[in-house]
Formats: sequence, structure tokens, C-alpha cells
Amino acid sequence: MNTMPQPHEFIDIGADVAGIREALARRRLVVIGGLALLLAALFTAAMVMGDYPVTLPEILTSLLSPFTGTTQKGIDFIVLGVRLPRALVAVAAGVAFGLSGVLFQDVLRNPLASPDIIGITIGSATAAVAAIIVLHWGGGWLASAALVGGLATAGLIYLLAWQQGVSPYRVVLVGIGIGAVMTAMMSYIFTRARLVEVQEAVTWLTGSLNGSQMKDAVQLGAEVIVLGLLLIPLSRAAGALELGDDTARALGSRVERARFLLLGVGVTLCALATAVTGPIAFVSLMAGPIARLLLGPSGGAIVPAALTGAAVTLCADLIAQHLFFSVQLPVGVVTGGIGALFLIAMLITANRTGRTS
Amino acid sequence: MTLLAFNPETARTPTHLSADKLHLGYRDRKIVHDLSVNIPPHRFTVIVGANACGKSTLLRGLARLLAPTEGTVLLDGKSIHQMPTGDVAQRMGLLPQTPVAPQSILVADLVGRGRYPHQGWFRRWTRDDDRIVGEALTLTGVGDLGGRALDELSGGQRQRVWIAMALAQETGLLLLDEPTTFLDIAHQVEVLDLLTDLTRHQGRTIVAVLHDLNLACRYADNLIAMKDGRIVAEGAPREIVTPDLVERVFGLTARIVTDPVSDTPMVVPLGRHHVAIAAE
Amino acid sequence: MAPVLTHSNRSRHLAAGLALLLALMVLMALASLAVGARAIPLGEVINALFDPGTTGTNATILRDLRIPRTLLALLVGAAIGLSGAIMQGVTRNPLADPGLLGINAGAALFVVLGISIVGLTTLTAYVWLGFAGAAIATVLVYAVASLGREGATPIKLALAGAAITAAFGSITTGVLMTDATTLDAFRFWQVGSLAGRGTDILVSVTPFLAAGIVLALVTGRLLDAMALGDDIARGLGQRVLLSRCVAALAWIVLAGGATAAAGPIAFVGLTVPHAARAITGPSYRWILPYSAVMAPILLLGADILGRVLAPPGELQVGIVTAALGAPLFILLVRRRRLAEL
Repeated sequence: MNTMPQPHEFIDIGADVAGIREALARRRLVVIGGLALLLAALFTAAMVMGDYPVTLPEILTSLLSPFTGTTQKGIDFIVLGVRLPRALVAVAAGVAFGLSGVLFQDVLRNPLASPDIIGITIGSATAAVAAIIVLHWGGGWLASAALVGGLATAGLIYLLAWQQGVSPYRVVLVGIGIGAVMTAMMSYIFTRARLVEVQEAVTWLTGSLNGSQMKDAVQLGAEVIVLGLLLIPLSRAAGALELGDDTARALGSRVERARFLLLGVGVTLCALATAVTGPIAFVSLMAGPIARLLLGPSGGAIVPAALTGAAVTLCADLIAQHLFFSVQLPVGVVTGGIGALFLIAMLITANRTGRTS
Repeated sequence: MTLLAFNPETARTPTHLSADKLHLGYRDRKIVHDLSVNIPPHRFTVIVGANACGKSTLLRGLARLLAPTEGTVLLDGKSIHQMPTGDVAQRMGLLPQTPVAPQSILVADLVGRGRYPHQGWFRRWTRDDDRIVGEALTLTGVGDLGGRALDELSGGQRQRVWIAMALAQETGLLLLDEPTTFLDIAHQVEVLDLLTDLTRHQGRTIVAVLHDLNLACRYADNLIAMKDGRIVAEGAPREIVTPDLVERVFGLTARIVTDPVSDTPMVVPLGRHHVAIAAE
Repeated sequence: MAPVLTHSNRSRHLAAGLALLLALMVLMALASLAVGARAIPLGEVINALFDPGTTGTNATILRDLRIPRTLLALLVGAAIGLSGAIMQGVTRNPLADPGLLGINAGAALFVVLGISIVGLTTLTAYVWLGFAGAAIATVLVYAVASLGREGATPIKLALAGAAITAAFGSITTGVLMTDATTLDAFRFWQVGSLAGRGTDILVSVTPFLAAGIVLALVTGRLLDAMALGDDIARGLGQRVLLSRCVAALAWIVLAGGATAAAGPIAFVGLTVPHAARAITGPSYRWILPYSAVMAPILLLGADILGRVLAPPGELQVGIVTAALGAPLFILLVRRRRLAEL
């Protein structure tokens, strides 16, 4: 080109750009819509399936009974007292785990990063194990211990990794170090405790939705919604962070602050969910990559990852409850298996750099 | 000449970038020492120097990516570190040396990120945004690559996409760290011509680190030669480029002739072979 | 002008450093022989070492317990250090550690299945079960990572490792939750310990570990080329697929053998190579031998501490290495700019 392009040559390109952008946005909507539908289907299945089958009209009547006053003795208990809270907790916890995973992966720019691996879940777990075995706590106190454990561990990791700012690489390494210490502490407690206590702790550690209460569901749901709303303004900053610290700063993003806030939200979500259900393995690791696989080049994996987390958790719980006739598995066992299958599926479709799509 | 949509306010306002007694370094190494410089507005300034002389560090310091250990960087008289980073981003754009690309992002998407400083929390994409992105893509010659994934492109194409992103940021001041690496000679000239257009016809201020001394001599309105973290010479190429300067800054024996096309200094290196005329 | 650290200069410095570390390792080994619930004076230790015919309680303790244990610590330590370094080199990921790439999960699963289904609870049984499980897990990881295009690239290896760990972990947890006796036996194995490992264990594991160590030290050149990326490695004349297979073989034998002998001691394999790299720089030709020597030092130190910190019992070595190693590691992360892999 010897002269600058004339104005009329620009107009077409602008339209092309808009077209591309719209195509990406469309794909994202399709993915989100699809996941939402899947979630709805799973939710319905969770309400209908069980030792005592319930039909859809019966479910609806139950759900509306606080307003209509119509009660159906056994059915109300099953629907409102058992299945609904369980499904709601599964969704809330799944969203929380999925979000925390994708936030960690985005901020730390490593597909293997997740609260599980960085040591935060282990912090919750160790605190919980200590609470169960040493202090003999249960219920609400146990949940608080897990929450405090997770948050304290995260704070410790952040402080230790801080040196004129926090580099993703340092956070990962320090996290692994702290995680190892916590695991050692937990192993030590296991070797010194009575078998019965160890069993109790192992049960909690596997992550389970048994005995979910409505109040837990409402509480966790509200917490997740509030933190989720916080993510809306932060998602912009997450997009900038994707481009590396230098470019992000050049674009006007406050990199350290964004990292701190995004990780903070991720940690809090994970700790809150772990406190209610115990650590459900691999949901936070899986959700992000699965969402990215579905999205392809259209970015904005945060909402899809939340929905994926919920879908995986709900699906795993259904399988866990109904796979074997006599035994109900805890959901954590199944998510591990599903996690493996999904990771393998990802690997089959991965391109030459090992990245999916 | 061009009707490239460009915010006239930012074009007319002199975006005056300067540094005062700047010291830059990393934890245990000092790189830039006591450096004061004025970047003339509406001009194309080029920084040259041997490897590891501090030119990239200086650029990063000017771009506020690196906090100075001493001294200040001033934008229009105000310390750049006191200004909200969003404000700075609307006035100063940067192309870093090794930009990081996220997973298989589409070209149009990446260039679109350049609009980030102009979009608040809830501002939607406007047709203007699309048009500016389109213009940036066309100007850098990657207009038909909008729908491709970044990691499918060649090194040269990728470089031009990153430049397009910096252009899409629509700033009066543009800092580029080695924008011509990976580009073949035709594209190098194209990019440098583009940058010249931006200064001459849009009144933007450009600061670029270039490794090719002759292209730097041809295109620079203002040349800054650095060595060991200090400025050795500064000014119009025809005034400062002498064999002595080339020797001091690059350790290269050379003869300076006049470029027959552009009438600017041209550095002709004297190596051990292919010296037809005996050196003086 | 400052004196230039030439290649040969640096090599000499590093060789000297290695010699020093070797000396330290020997000292630690001697300490390990002398220290314990029953302290044995060094004089007797040296005596017993040079004169196999010595009798007496101390000599018996030395022969039957301490010497095998110390030797095992040396071998297992070297094995863990080397396998960690190899894994990090092949996967080019700082998170790579035997635990994450399926070895521990595989060993654990087989041990658990062995206890639960067949009722095997002897240490020797654990060794063979662990080895088998680790080998199968690694083969699976490689197989899974090789699916799809481009074969087993670093990221795919890491992801495959995570996948297999997840899958095996689920089954293991499932069994543990339903079978209390298995849980009771397993919780002691899974903490990583050198206690009670006598000559029989040493004899069964030594051939593998020794062979693995030799093989590993040879892979240094391969890893250096691989670190530059597959394309450059091929350009340097290296058969990338073959190299990866050799490295994988080395790490199966080493990490599998180590976990089989002592249970999972995951932390050492991750941190020692980082520490070695901080001293030697990025060349695997040095990182490997340094890891092979530094890891046993750490392991022996932890084992010795474990013996004296909680008398009359012992603190298992897996716990002490984490408690010791983690703070040291974090200090290292803060102080030095650990080179990105």
C-alpha cells in the first residue's frame, strides 16, 4: 500500500468485525442456553427419581403448597424435605466450585490450577479433620471450621507469595508447599486417631450431599448469588488479565487489585461450598476446561463454568444415588470418575499445543 | 487526508511524555541510570542501542509497567504514577515485546480488547468500536484475518495483529517495543510508514524501540541512542549519527553515507570481509 | 572487567558442590546408623560396617534394621529426587510431581485392592502391589495422553495424570469408605514411612531402583534437549518419542519403586528439583545428580528427626519431610527467582 486506505474501504471491515463478534456472542449464548436446559433436566430428574417415585404434577403441587395450602403427606416430605434441598445444595455447591476453579485457572494462567491443587481445599479439609477428630465438632461448628480453615490457608498462601505483588507462578508453588504441610498434618492425625474417628473424617472428606437441609441450601445459594454478582464488574478485569500483566496494565487494568479480588472471590466460594458439602473432588478443576471446550474461541468462560459445575455435581449425585441398588455412594466418588472421563475426552480433542480448541 | 476516525481531542492535545532523573531496575540490578528525556509531541521518536542497553526497560518505565526506583515519569506535567491507570490507558498505548496470547483467541476479538480503556463497567459495544477495530485491522494489513485464530497465523501476521490492538486503543501516544521483529522487509516498511502517517496526519506521538539502525535513521524525527542505561545522544538523525556515535553505542566501525532515497543518514558497517575500499 | 564464569569454570564449581553434598550425604547416613531409640556410638558403627562378623545387640540392630533402613533411605531418596526432576523436565510444568501424575494413585489403589480383596497386609506385599499399581497407572497416563493429535505433549501428560489420579482416587475412596479394616491398614501405609523396612524389602527393591537411577542419570541430555521444545529437540537430532519413552521408563521404575517401598512421599519429588535448579541452573545434566543427592539428604534428615522427636515411637518420615521441606521450599520461592520451566 502506498497511500493510507480510503474511508470507504473501512466500512466493510467494521461490519465483518461486528459479524465476528456477534458470532462469538451467539455461540456463547447457545452454550449457556444448552447448559441451562441440561441443568433443568437434571434438576427434574433429581426430583422425580428415587426409591419412592414421584410424578411431575405431584412435584409441582408440593412446590406450590406453601402458597396453595394443599398438602400431600408423604410426598411433601420427600420433595420439600429431602430432594429439593439436596438438589439445591448440589446446584449451589456446583456453581461455587465451578466458579472458583475457572477463576483460579484464569488468574493463575494454568489449566491445572484449582483450589484443590493450590492447597486451599486441603486447608479446609485439614481444619475439618482436626475439628472432627480432635475437637469432636459436628454440624454448624464443623462447617465454620472448614470455612475458617480454607480462608486462613488462602490468606497465608497469598501473604507468603506476596513480594511487591503476586506472581501466578509463586502462588502456585507456595500453594503446593502449604498444601503439602496440611496433608502431612492430616496424615499425622489419621495415624494417631481411633479408627471410628478416622472413618467419620474420611466420610466427610469424600464430599457428600447426604442430609442436606433446606436452610443450608438457602444460605449457600444466597452466598453464591452475592459473590456471583460481585463477579460481574470483575469479569472485565479477568478478560484483561488473560493478555498478560504488561498488556493488561497498558490497557489500564489494575492488575494486582484485580488478581486479589478475583482470587478472593474464588477462595471464598470454594471455602463456603466445602463447609457445607465437604470437598467434592475435581469439580473446580473440570468445570473451566469443559466450558472452554464448549465455547471454543468465544471467551467469557465464567458463566458457562458455573453452569457446568452445577450440572456435573447434580449429574454425579444422581449417579451416586442410583447406580448401585443397595449402596449409595457419596457424590465425591462419582465426580472423581466423571472428572477422569471428561479430562480424557478433552485430551482426545486437544490440539497440538495441548489446548482444547 | 484520512478520515480514520480518531478522537480529535486526543490528537490536538499535545501528549507530552517526559522523564526526570529516572532510575529503573529490578530487584538486584540497576538498568537505567539518572535518565532525563523529553519526548517531543506529534513526532516519531526512535530509541536505539545495543542489546541490554536498557532501551526496553526505559520504554517499560515510560509506560508505567515498571515503577522507578528514583525519579518520575511525567505525562503532561503530571506524574504518571499518580494518575488513575484508566486515564493513562486512554492517552498512552503500548505494544510490549513478547505479548502473551490467551488460548486460540480470534484476531478480531484480540484487537477488540484494545477498546478496553474506553469501555466502562457496563458500556456496551458500539458501532464505533467495531469500526475502529476494523480500521485498525485494515491499516495493519490483516483485514481479512479477522475470523482466524491467533495461533494459526505466522509470526509476522501475529505481530501486525498486536500492533492493530495497540492502534485500536486509539491513544494520542503510542509506545512500541520492537514492532518490526518477525516482519519481512516489505511489512517492516509498511508498518513504519503507517506509524509515520499517524504522526504526520493524525498528530499522534510515537515512541518505538527499533533494532534496525538504518530504518531508525530513516524514519525517526527524533533519535535517542542509549548505552548502559544512559542516553548517549539525542536529536534528529542527520545531526547526531556519526561514525563516532555508532562506534560508541554499538561497538561497530562504520561509515555514514546519505540514503539516496530519503536523504537521511545511512550506516554502512565495515566488517572484516567485503570491504572494497580501504577503511580510513 | 569481572571474571567471566566460563563453562568449564562453572562445571568445576558445580562438581565441587556435588562432592560436598555427597560428603554430607555420607555423614547423614552415618548419623542415621547411629541415632535411634537406642543410640549406638559411632565407633561401634564403623566397626560393624567393616567387620560383618561382629556380634552383639548393637551389631544386630545395625545389620537387621539400621543398615537396610539407611540404604533404603538413600535409594528411595535418590529415586524420588530423580523421578521428580524427570517428570518436571518432561512435562515442563512446575506442578509435576509423582503424586500428580498418577503414580501414587495407582500404587494406593492396588494396595487398597490387595488388602480388601485378597487380604494381603505384609510390607512385602505392599511393595509388589504398589509397584504394579504405579506401573499400570503410568502406562495408562501415557496411553491416555497419547490419544488425539500430537501425542503426549507436556500439558496433555499433566492432564492425563490428573484424570487417572481422579479415577483411581474415586475407586480407592469408595473401597475405603465401605471397608473399615482396609482403611485401618491403609491409613498407616499412605503416610509414607521407612519404619520396619528390613533387608527383605531392600533386596526386592534395590535392583529396580539401582537400574532406574542409572537410567535416569543418562536422560540428562535428553531432557535438556526436550526443554527447548519438541521442534528444536528434533532439530538437534533427538528422537522425541523415544526420549519420552525412555524418560517414562525411568520414572516408572524410580517413582513406582520408591512409593512401593516406602509409601507415598510426594513432597520431596516436587521441591528438591526446584532447589537443585536454583543452585545449578537449568541444565538437567546437573539438576539430575544434584537432585539424586539432595533428596536422600532431606529424607535421611527427616527420618532421623522422626526417630528422635517422638520417643518411644516414631514420627513417620512422610510427615517430617513435609513439615521440614515445605517452609524451606517457601523460603526458596521467596528468596530466589526460581526459573520458570
